[in-house]
Amino acid sequence: MAGLDESFMPTLLHYRSWQGAFHSSWWTVWPIARVALGTLLRRRLFWTLYAFGLLLFFMFFFGAYLLAWAESQLSVTQQQFGKMADPGRMIRGIRGALRILNGSQDTFQYFFAYQGGIVIVTLSLAGSVLIGNDFTFKSLVFYLAKPIGRWHYILGKCIAVAIVVQMMTTLPALVLYGQHAFDDWDYFWRVDYFSASDTGKGPAGIVLLLAILGYGTLLSVFLSILLVAAASWMRRTMPLIMVWMSMFFFLRILANILVDGLKYDGRWRLIDLWNNLTLLGQGCLGYPWEDINPKPHPEFWEAGLVLLGVTAVCLIYLNFRTRSVEIVR
Amino acid sequence: MFIELHNISRSFGGNQALIDVNLHLEMGRVGLLGPNGAGKSTLIKILLGILAPSSGTGRVLDHDLASAGIALRRAIGYMPEGDALVPGMQGAEYVALAGELYGMARKQALRRAHEVLTYLDLGDARYRKLEEYSTGMKQRLKLAQALVHDPPVLLLDEPTSGMDPAGREGMLDLLVRLGKEHKKAILLSTHLLGDIDKVCDAVIILHQGRILCQGPVRELCQRRHDRYRLQIQGDPTGLLEELRLEDVRILRDNGRGEYRVQVPADWTTQAFFKLAQVHNVVLRGLQADDEDLEELFHRVIGENPNQAPP
Repeated sequence: MAGLDESFMPTLLHYRSWQGAFHSSWWTVWPIARVALGTLLRRRLFWTLYAFGLLLFFMFFFGAYLLAWAESQLSVTQQQFGKMADPGRMIRGIRGALRILNGSQDTFQYFFAYQGGIVIVTLSLAGSVLIGNDFTFKSLVFYLAKPIGRWHYILGKCIAVAIVVQMMTTLPALVLYGQHAFDDWDYFWRVDYFSASDTGKGPAGIVLLLAILGYGTLLSVFLSILLVAAASWMRRTMPLIMVWMSMFFFLRILANILVDGLKYDGRWRLIDLWNNLTLLGQGCLGYPWEDINPKPHPEFWEAGLVLLGVTAVCLIYLNFRTRSVEIVR
Repeated sequence: MFIELHNISRSFGGNQALIDVNLHLEMGRVGLLGPNGAGKSTLIKILLGILAPSSGTGRVLDHDLASAGIALRRAIGYMPEGDALVPGMQGAEYVALAGELYGMARKQALRRAHEVLTYLDLGDARYRKLEEYSTGMKQRLKLAQALVHDPPVLLLDEPTSGMDPAGREGMLDLLVRLGKEHKKAILLSTHLLGDIDKVCDAVIILHQGRILCQGPVRELCQRRHDRYRLQIQGDPTGLLEELRLEDVRILRDNGRGEYRVQVPADWTTQAFFKLAQVHNVVLRGLQADDEDLEELFHRVIGENPNQAPP
């Protein structure tokens, strides 16, 4: 059978017919997402960046225990020495520094903000693998020639990106939430947990849980649509990194210069997409508008409107972009 | 009925890509021929339900063209001309993914992918990355992904493009077998007339958006009384020179002593034998011959030069 690879002898097995039921086209969304994710998860670079995200998560996770230890040491030293001496000063310092790790809205606000930076870097590198390659290598023809619509394809890709975002933000945030809930069940049951115990601020319980899910959903929905649109536009890794970083870093710097440096109206921060996301995220976490930094900043609805507008533009672009692909040449 | 089109037209701005196309084809192996810009791609897009016609009605496998885009594509296995591969995937994964996209359950798609790949002699390569496949293997892989859900219709766009002669022969044999033994209807779009000659029993010739002719190849090819096939043993140089002097046109020389010739009106077959004797060669075969597909194509195109749209 020498040269079997190149000579063509289709006689090894008789052709067998297949009969079975077909699922609806919506079922194809998951295979599209799964294959895209599989392509990404095979890359070492992704796991390296994910490891950075995990380091941050562990800092929050074990930091909570350090805070608990500092709290316990503070009460012990107060009992032993009273007000005459203050050997717990250093411990109080630690307590102050770690206070944001107490499981309140601050904890999750900082967690999402720090983790968001790593997510943005990861997505800039993942975009061409998840979506751009379909345009570069004409795989899109393979998908769209099947009994699916272009929106099934776009949804599949968005789900893949959303899963990456959720893996890096919402999932570890839920683990942090669970850590605090297991530590004290009142944290889970009582919405006024922090105001009653005077250990923090903002809601706890199911409201905080929903806030975390809301923040995570906001990030994943917006970033997934934006990335799919940007990657189908730029396709290649380097141009995509440049565009992506411009959107999230250059516009941020520009907004800061305009508002903080040149004292323009706070609405100029609307050009900073990440600021809009964190503004709405903090709204989800229950922050009053006037407590949110940096000031001045736009209203919640203004930030929401900008994000909705950008999303609409991305969807319109994706519609045109996928429509222009020649399935039959 | 395989394909039934009534006055299908499609325009892009001011450009008429298809003009009043009427087609009535029973299940079978059909070739789609036409020069570049003839409207083949537009017709395939309409048949796949990707593009709606500007006017006219039609049905493919009893699916209405206007409304059954997704249902239509589920009934058709489409093999695109270009690579259309997903980089980083293995052969079996790729074909199974195609099955899932057609709507098959994952386990069934995977099992079926292995069956089809083995049938197409890609069993040993099914765990290889797609980037490592040769051109011929990629063509077979694309056929596998079109065949994975066992569709009644295969729509093949240049299926032998880039293949070596042995691979091409194998692919064509396979297509004939799929049509004859497994009752697959095949619509084969290609520039290679030999592919259509070997695989198809009917042909559609499309030119400038119009169908110039359609029907069984044997019926369309004209019966000719001026064509012969000759099989010559010995050095044919002198005989061929002499034939040319006698106004005989050598239409084809296959390099193995077989010739296709066109003779003048007053020619008799006895003349071949006389000239062969003079030039000391043996005429081992002499057969009257009809018009072949290539001649049919050129004749039909030639009879309809520059059909301007109405």
